Amino acid sequence: MWQAIQSRETGRTPSNSFANQLKSRRISSLQLSNRKDFVSPHRGSVNSLQVDLTEGRYLLSGASDGSAAVFDTQRATDSEASGLIAKHKCVFSVDKGHEHGHRFAVSSAVWYPIDTGLFVTGSFDHLIKVWDTNTAQAVVDFKMPGKVYRTAMSSLAMSHTLIAAGTEDVQVRLCDIASGAFSHTLSGHRDGVMSVEWSTSSEWVLYTGGCDGAIRFWDIRRAGCFRVLDQSVTQLGVRPPILKHTAVNSKVSADKSSSGGKNRLKPLQSKHTGSQNMKGSSSAKALVEKSRQKRLHPGMLSTLDRATAHYGVVTGLKATNDGMYLLSAGSDSRIRLWDTQSGCNTLLNFETGRLHTSKAIQMATSDDPALLFVPCMKTVKAFGMWSGRTTLMFRGHYESVNTCCFNSTDQELYTSGADRQILVWSPGGSVEGEMDQDEEVAEDKDNWSD
Amino acid sequence: MQNNCTNPETSAAGGKKRRREEVGCSHAANEDECFSLQDELTFSDTSVALRMMRSQFPRIDQSQLYSSVNDRTQVDRELERLRRDKVVRVFKLNTGQDDHAIIFLDDYLNQVDRIAKRMEEKKQSDTDIFKWFKEHVLDSKLEPSIAHHELCSLLSLGGKVKDAHITLLINAGLLTRQLIDPDMYWFAIPGIGKLWKALLQGRKELLSLLKRKRHKEMFLAELEKKRLRYSPLDMRFHIRDLIGSGHLKTFQTTSGLVVRVSTD
Repeated sequence: MWQAIQSRETGRTPSNSFANQLKSRRISSLQLSNRKDFVSPHRGSVNSLQVDLTEGRYLLSGASDGSAAVFDTQRATDSEASGLIAKHKCVFSVDKGHEHGHRFAVSSAVWYPIDTGLFVTGSFDHLIKVWDTNTAQAVVDFKMPGKVYRTAMSSLAMSHTLIAAGTEDVQVRLCDIASGAFSHTLSGHRDGVMSVEWSTSSEWVLYTGGCDGAIRFWDIRRAGCFRVLDQSVTQLGVRPPILKHTAVNSKVSADKSSSGGKNRLKPLQSKHTGSQNMKGSSSAKALVEKSRQKRLHPGMLSTLDRATAHYGVVTGLKATNDGMYLLSAGSDSRIRLWDTQSGCNTLLNFETGRLHTSKAIQMATSDDPALLFVPCMKTVKAFGMWSGRTTLMFRGHYESVNTCCFNSTDQELYTSGADRQILVWSPGGSVEGEMDQDEEVAEDKDNWSD
Repeated sequence: MQNNCTNPETSAAGGKKRRREEVGCSHAANEDECFSLQDELTFSDTSVALRMMRSQFPRIDQSQLYSSVNDRTQVDRELERLRRDKVVRVFKLNTGQDDHAIIFLDDYLNQVDRIAKRMEEKKQSDTDIFKWFKEHVLDSKLEPSIAHHELCSLLSLGGKVKDAHITLLINAGLLTRQLIDPDMYWFAIPGIGKLWKALLQGRKELLSLLKRKRHKEMFLAELEKKRLRYSPLDMRFHIRDLIGSGHLKTFQTTSGLVVRVSTD
């Protein structure tokens, strides 16, 4: 450690790489913290965790018993074992007993991205509530048509304060806090929407993953989604090779155009009674399709695109911080990495054994080293993002884990699950221990016990 | 369907014979086959692994490929490249988990031809559909699924398409309807039913065999010698499949490789 500081002093290591080296060393030694503990007031499985975006200090959690709680991660409320273990009790919590509290499970709790004065909770009682943190009162309520699975607010937004809500209804609704009304309704999914995530590169782009296995990209300034991710559209490697891509495309389009008519879109009515096929010859069908195509608004053409990103429900979405890639987890126990610019599957294979099939999971990423933290049943696995291999495995929960949240300012990982606990995984070893490594410490050999 | 019944045995036996000639037996003399999974579990290249497994097993499962090459991402990418170069074809199996079967394209085309011939013998009408299927659809559509209108439009490049034609294709086992989406079809391998049933039952039996042990583990060499009651497929087929899908883990000990049921 002293060596590293000395090389920084003399200028051999630039300041960025010194910080990065330190961070990566700490991250690779993550283990269950023996110095910090959150005292969870929840009586149900904890479904959502988020550290606030402005200071990285307050942790917001939402649980299945309808409660949401805020913890201070830096200051402990009291300590045990003569100051060695810091206990963090919640700063406050709003639960069913609260007069405006949720009645059923809270599935998602997110901070207002601009400051910690507000937070938004979405619950299975069809309501999204916006709370004022200082007074712990619900300020605005939005009534949704179905159970709310996930809410999200854009961290980059300069011109809007929209809450994107994914519910069991097929439409994604955007709620505006300023006006108290719904500003957008995005249709295109064919089943409920289990995960929503705003883009980290543009304040107008929203990614949603549905129970039908499709992932759609929406630009909220336009109608309809502009991309549907298809798992069979792949690119070999991190960036798509331009020539090969257009070669494949042109060949396919040549084939299709030769058959007459633009048959890329499915006809709207698809009733199949006993026998398998629709009547009518292909030329008649082409005419019928052309006419149907004209009737559809260009923004709605994407509803006919049935491509799926996963062979099951899309349970989690996470965009990388640089905005170039999107990670999606599905109930087919696969995690896929998508390139957001080209919309292709990069064919990275993450060695997941099994993932939750019915519950939404929350993944976390760290930048340097590029790691992806995924809850896999009772453990949390850290995968190298570009190799797909398991680098770390965190075993500590007694029941299945639902969420991971990575605090990059302290390099700590917070995980929570069905065992109602919020566990802290922090870098092993103290700073003093690192500093003293180089010196020799004489051991007191008489100081032992059975 | 009769030739499929004898296929696994003959191809497996043929594979064994070929290997005995090709590779010099450097293993214990008391073994019949000189090939043991223990010594050749992983390969360096996906296409080498594919060809090796093609000679042993009747059909290859994608999870078997994962067990044979260390880096899974490399497997996925090379498989994608082979698929785009039309060397292999990937089919989705309807097991409920994410299973894919991999076949070399020439094997598949041979099988399509055999089916076409059999249909002609039965004097079914309109057997040209198989030719159109081979020429137009298989050539241009490389994904494992196809939509109904696309299928019709591609088949009509050969001639006028009727509903009866598509029924014929489904009867032959080359297409299957998707359960979730009434307008999409999966490409299928004819005669896969027997194999699929054997695969599922064999998996269950092998896992239960290992779970009954006290420490849920066994030496790989011992495991290979056992015979499965419910599956006519080779034991090594199932071992590779389960290692690749993550249900079993192998690790090296001083007396050889040990296979253990992976918890979580």
